[in-house]
Amino acid sequence: MEEKKKKRIGVYICHCGGNISDYVDVAQVRELAGKDDFVVVAKDVMFACADSNQKDMVADIKEQGLDAIVVASCSPKLHLHTFRNVALRAGLNQYQYVQVNVREQCSWPHHDDRKLATGKAAGLVEAGIRRVMGAESHETIRVSAARSVLIVGAGVAGMRAAISLASIGNEVVLVEKAAEPGGKLAGRKDLFPGDVSGESIVQDLAARVRATPNIKLFCGATVSGVCGSMGQFQVKVNVGGQPAEDLEFTVGAVLIATGFDPYKPEPGEYSMGSPGVIPIGEFVKLVESGSGELMHQGRRVRSVGFIYCVGMRQTKGKNKYCSRVCCSGAIQASLSMHRRYPGVQAYHFYRDIRAYGKQEVMYTESSKAGDVYFMFTEKEPPVVTADGSGAVIKVKDSLTKKQEVEVPVDLVVLVTGMVPQADSGAIAASFKVPIGADGFFNEIHPKLRPVETVINGVFLGGSCQGPKNVTETLSSALAASAKINAVIGKGVIDLDPVIARVDSSKCVWCGKCAAVCEYGALVEMERDGRNFAIVDEPSCVGCGVCAPVCPTNAIELACFTDAEIEGMIDGFALDQNINITETAAAEESAAPSVTMKEYPAQWHMILEAMKDGPISIPDIAKASGLDASLVTRHVMTMNRYRVAEPAGLDDSEQYYLYQQKS
Amino acid sequence: MAKIDPTLAGKLKKYGAKDFPACYNCGNCTAVCSLTAKDANYPRIFLRYGSLGMKDEILSAREPWLCYACGECSAACPRDAGPGDFMAAARKFAIAHHEPTGLTRLLFTNSPFAVVFTVLLAVVMGTFMMMVSDRVDPDNVLKRWIFDHLSFSVIHDMGMVIFTFMGLSALLGMILMGRRLFAGMPKLENPRKAIVSAIHNVRAELLTMRRYRKCQDDEEPYFKDRKWPFQPWFVHWSIMWGFIGLLFATILDFLLKDPATTTWWPSRILGTVAGIAMMWGATLAIIYRIKGVARQYRNSTLADWALLGALFAAGLTGFWMEVAVMAHLENDLNAAIFIIHTIVSMELVLLFAFSKFAHAVYRPLALFNYFLRQK
Repeated sequence: MEEKKKKRIGVYICHCGGNISDYVDVAQVRELAGKDDFVVVAKDVMFACADSNQKDMVADIKEQGLDAIVVASCSPKLHLHTFRNVALRAGLNQYQYVQVNVREQCSWPHHDDRKLATGKAAGLVEAGIRRVMGAESHETIRVSAARSVLIVGAGVAGMRAAISLASIGNEVVLVEKAAEPGGKLAGRKDLFPGDVSGESIVQDLAARVRATPNIKLFCGATVSGVCGSMGQFQVKVNVGGQPAEDLEFTVGAVLIATGFDPYKPEPGEYSMGSPGVIPIGEFVKLVESGSGELMHQGRRVRSVGFIYCVGMRQTKGKNKYCSRVCCSGAIQASLSMHRRYPGVQAYHFYRDIRAYGKQEVMYTESSKAGDVYFMFTEKEPPVVTADGSGAVIKVKDSLTKKQEVEVPVDLVVLVTGMVPQADSGAIAASFKVPIGADGFFNEIHPKLRPVETVINGVFLGGSCQGPKNVTETLSSALAASAKINAVIGKGVIDLDPVIARVDSSKCVWCGKCAAVCEYGALVEMERDGRNFAIVDEPSCVGCGVCAPVCPTNAIELACFTDAEIEGMIDGFALDQNINITETAAAEESAAPSVTMKEYPAQWHMILEAMKDGPISIPDIAKASGLDASLVTRHVMTMNRYRVAEPAGLDDSEQYYLYQQKS
Repeated sequence: MAKIDPTLAGKLKKYGAKDFPACYNCGNCTAVCSLTAKDANYPRIFLRYGSLGMKDEILSAREPWLCYACGECSAACPRDAGPGDFMAAARKFAIAHHEPTGLTRLLFTNSPFAVVFTVLLAVVMGTFMMMVSDRVDPDNVLKRWIFDHLSFSVIHDMGMVIFTFMGLSALLGMILMGRRLFAGMPKLENPRKAIVSAIHNVRAELLTMRRYRKCQDDEEPYFKDRKWPFQPWFVHWSIMWGFIGLLFATILDFLLKDPATTTWWPSRILGTVAGIAMMWGATLAIIYRIKGVARQYRNSTLADWALLGALFAAGLTGFWMEVAVMAHLENDLNAAIFIIHTIVSMELVLLFAFSKFAHAVYRPLALFNYFLRQK
């Protein structure tokens, strides 16, 4: 695979309008680079990213027959793709381009030492040249994707995602462990906000699922085996029956929507197990089952005490998190109770009320309805004593100077939160998806990639990820559907070629690489009686963690091959003679003010223009004779060095004004 | 250990604290209050006592009486729970609770009863006064019926009994309140000095309204740029001192046995000046309440209207009579005005202990307690 070393390289050193050239002797760096035998074109340019320069680069590549280019400018975060596109436009492979960052790594950090900045820039440029000499050309890796999805869990999240994925042309295998679809919402009545019952939402979704021909719903079924990777997962589904039958499917992606379990209070926790003490789930069923007189175990209920945060927010215990939905759930249950059974007094014992968003309205409504709220601390939780004839809740109420208050109630309701679904661990293991310290499934990034897992092709929806209400559950399920379709919708998946590769002749299969790979991308193969590792391309993300652990050096990462890295080291280590001219050095030492000596000439011109107070960039350009775009960049840099500062808008509100910073 | 009583909230609502259960104890009300102090922390905690049903905590507290209902707390309340209204309701609740007959509770919480009772009292007094008037024919059926059955002395004695009963009720109410207020009073190191200083402070407070002035909301747009005669504290001051002045003038008139025909008689001058002050305050207070110019004037109960209305009516008819007396206009209309003046004034005095008016005694008592405990 080793390509022939490059012979014709073009190098461009960018001034960045002074951002680089004020501190780095750009001409000297260009000169040193030009001495290299393989460098055919070496130029220094005011703005490498400018359209005109990009056109010049394309022309150079074509006219001079360049086969690789290096630009020494800013961070690749800013312009890597800009110059990769220049290479593409000129007919080069985009991986024949290397960017060297001499702004963030040379001119900005070493603005006080021109020689050092210049020397480091020259070294980095030489490293870039050596790297591009060893650079290989790569093409996007394309794998085929089955347009079908396995969804684990047929609660509202799973069903809603199934309908949405099926409606855009995907096959869906929907697997539900229970005998009926619907999950936790099945049978529920009152929801907030809106007047649609949970029951009817579930019925509606289940009917649509059953009526959709490209959704296969298996109830009483479990996933019994998974292999393969994104685009081509082979999954086995145990659909039950006597004897148990396994069906096999090939799916392009997997959506985990297994939901949560309600926290089960320990026996004795707030007198759990005594008559008249029930968890909120049971209470909601009791409330929704009738109206008129609220009865529990044959006794009339005239007052109810809700104890919040049961099993949650334990600073010392296992569940450190807040379940978010239980406060509003309890308040809603209380309002629901008032509607169905007028006259029942409700008491709420809480640590903090977290009725976020519109749910705050419910909280207010409940207070106005006469519900009494008591606040307790984790250290001094309420004490429940319950015999068959009712219960008494004793609480040190933080809101009443920690007075101990005794509240007799007929029913104690333990407001429990959400804990990970019991099978989460097993499901996580079979899909190799990580679970967090709290036991819920982990996404890659809670904000930037909220429904994806580190395993390519495996996605998350609903409360298997953490406590969510119905609205949030459906939002995440639909987000996952959209994400899944974006991956498998075209029937093929294009992968970044920057991934690991194994030289099978060197590999002895020690398993170390597979042990460190978080993505399960290194798979054992057997051929001709020999075991070795291969990279499952769709699974590899190119993190490179496998390469250094390989004892036989059989693994390399594309674009970061040993040849390229070693070339860079050689290039950087090359001893280059840097001469900073006498005049520049003399100018530096003769500068009268310590603070001003480092300012480039343009800054003095700009400061001169700022002498009479705040001034806009066009006016600075007019006064100084400098180009306006150059002034902009200088003023930005001056702002960063606290030499100039913004001073609000001008009267026409068209331009920002800047002034010298005092 | 306190036991919860969820029924108290409902009772307090009837005294005007309509929205207080909405309170979620954020404490903004206490934070913005200019009068709250380390040794007198309110209003939040009192709403809390109301929610939990801690009746004794409310009844034995002086804090409700230290509040002048400037309304700043209610304006700051994020849930519109009306903490200022709650403090007003707590005062009415305390008046009703301390007064032993239960009449006050009915007057405060049962508006139809309050209207029927005061009107009926007025009619009885009015009828009686018309009957004793010379303008009514001695052979009038009703007049003859009344005086044939009751001798004047019996009626006089009955009046005295009623007055004594009312007076004793008021006294008992004050004693009961004082007992609660002074219960658990720490032993004073130098009682004489403390009492003298407390009395001095109460007097200064009543004369200058210095605490009321402190609780003015500077941000309140209506009062922001108004001169002092229009400020709520002065309105309150002029009603209070106006009424006290009139009371003294009336007593002086009776002591001097010359029901004031001479305009320049000192007691008359006092009456006129005090009357003007009271009318100024009462008129402004009524206008403020009708227009609802600021938060504290918006949530008016029948008890508020009744007291203001009575003071205004007494003042207006009083001046009318003064003019009529000066001009020697003796006619039926002026006689009727005189009767109305007497009825209203009598009702004010008779119902003193049974109305919002009682705060004139309770507040100084609570202030005395507050200053006495102050280090």
